[in-house]
Amino acid sequence: MRIADSLWGVRCVWLRYFDVFRKSYVYYLVTTFSEPFLYLLAFGFGVGSLVGAVDVDGAAVSYRRFVFSGILGQALLFQSFYDASYGAFIRMYYQRIFQAMAVTPITLSEVLWGELLWDASKATLAAVVIASIGAALGDFPLYAPLAVIPVAFPSALVFAGLGLAVAARSRTIEEISYPQYLIVFPMFLFCGVFFPLEQLPQPLQWIAWALPLTSVNSLMRTLVLGFPFQPWAIAVLAGWLLVLVGYSRRAMFGRLVK
Amino acid sequence: MRALRVVHLTKRYGTLEAVADVSFDVAAGECLGLLGPNGAGKSTTIHCISGFYPPSAGQVFIDGHDVHADPKRARQVLGMCSQEDTLDSDFRVLDQLVRHATFFRIPTREGEPRAKKLLERFGIAEKSGELVEALSGGMRRRLQVARALISRPKVLVLDEPTTGLDPGMRRSLWEILVAEREQGAAILLSTHYMEEAERLCDRVALLHKGTIRDIGSPRSLIERHMGAAQVEEELRPGVRWKRPPNLEDVYLKLTGARLHEAAE
Repeated sequence: MRIADSLWGVRCVWLRYFDVFRKSYVYYLVTTFSEPFLYLLAFGFGVGSLVGAVDVDGAAVSYRRFVFSGILGQALLFQSFYDASYGAFIRMYYQRIFQAMAVTPITLSEVLWGELLWDASKATLAAVVIASIGAALGDFPLYAPLAVIPVAFPSALVFAGLGLAVAARSRTIEEISYPQYLIVFPMFLFCGVFFPLEQLPQPLQWIAWALPLTSVNSLMRTLVLGFPFQPWAIAVLAGWLLVLVGYSRRAMFGRLVK
Repeated sequence: MRALRVVHLTKRYGTLEAVADVSFDVAAGECLGLLGPNGAGKSTTIHCISGFYPPSAGQVFIDGHDVHADPKRARQVLGMCSQEDTLDSDFRVLDQLVRHATFFRIPTREGEPRAKKLLERFGIAEKSGELVEALSGGMRRRLQVARALISRPKVLVLDEPTTGLDPGMRRSLWEILVAEREQGAAILLSTHYMEEAERLCDRVALLHKGTIRDIGSPRSLIERHMGAAQVEEELRPGVRWKRPPNLEDVYLKLTGARLHEAAE
């Protein structure tokens, strides 16, 4: 009964976000998909025409397909992180929506689960749409839009956890820029979105492998490009999932509940 | 059974005791006022009553349910209006009441007519389709109180609901609260307006530095501490007058502080 009640609470929060999304879907679609498309056009089609093929672990693919698959990870990272950091900060600090919902039969724990799950859902939707376009262009197999979901959702949850933790620890909205520039952008640049990790010096490769986006890109490329499966990528991702989701919830509780 | 029962509530932040062994109850159809200046512990008490802040000691029962042990059931009958603006600015005026109702398992087909009636009652029906940003400060405050009523709560907790309202709006909100009380709601109202406490509250708890200095009806508090003697005060230099004592005088006598003084 308690579990069913809690699930109901989380569902209520998730539906609240969905309702906001539904009412302004044109805005969300434009802001969600314009960035990955621009990256695809600039790097996939632009740089891709100069680079030609990329060889990773004996598998050769066109640079466009390589970048396209990396954009799946990039979309998950940016979409989840920004929604859960800037978005949650606004909801928590300016709108005080968390506080308003958490004095109804919905608990703060359910509010935070709803926030994380919604951020992950929205990012997963972005990944599915990008995978659909990749399938339509012939860069990914036809099953790619469905195949990416089992990796996209937990990956998005990891980045949403990172974003929510940042929101909880930032005193002002400007402070979110620190982890944005010091963690998110370096991940975006050095975790295999634009080039194979083998191009980096060995120490940087080790650091990159420890970061979650590298595992996300590795698993995504296994799914949509048929790259060799790296089992430890699941372990790294699961580790980050436990750490970041757990920490972000504790940090937000600590911020709100005195 | 008392609709709201607060038992030996204590809230500490390190060595600071923000709320110290506070106990009171509110019956159905009764309005209890928490009267004190900023920093007296009113909002902390209310955060603990809503279950948002865990108490350091003590318990809060809403309709017989311990709000910290069983928050879902307790808050099913609780309507909260916090001091801060917590309106959901992602929704239009009507929609946000309907959405808020769903948090109490009230389906849209039931929540929407309720919301429309509330908006009419609060005089903001013509703003139904507007975003919250389009409302004046007074309208936002009324909307927040209206939202607290959407679930037809047995217990209504209002943290300084009329702060920032002009006298006319304040009076119209008072009329609504009186009507709610007459319909059987138990109301806990925190305020630093003496006139509000005297007019609305059946009983008043005088809160100072986290402790209740006394509790009783406004009349009994005045009689107990001030007697029938007139209070003389200086309106302006050289102009003195005598008036009947009020709750402000009681508060000053008991605590040495005025209601509009900020806590040190």
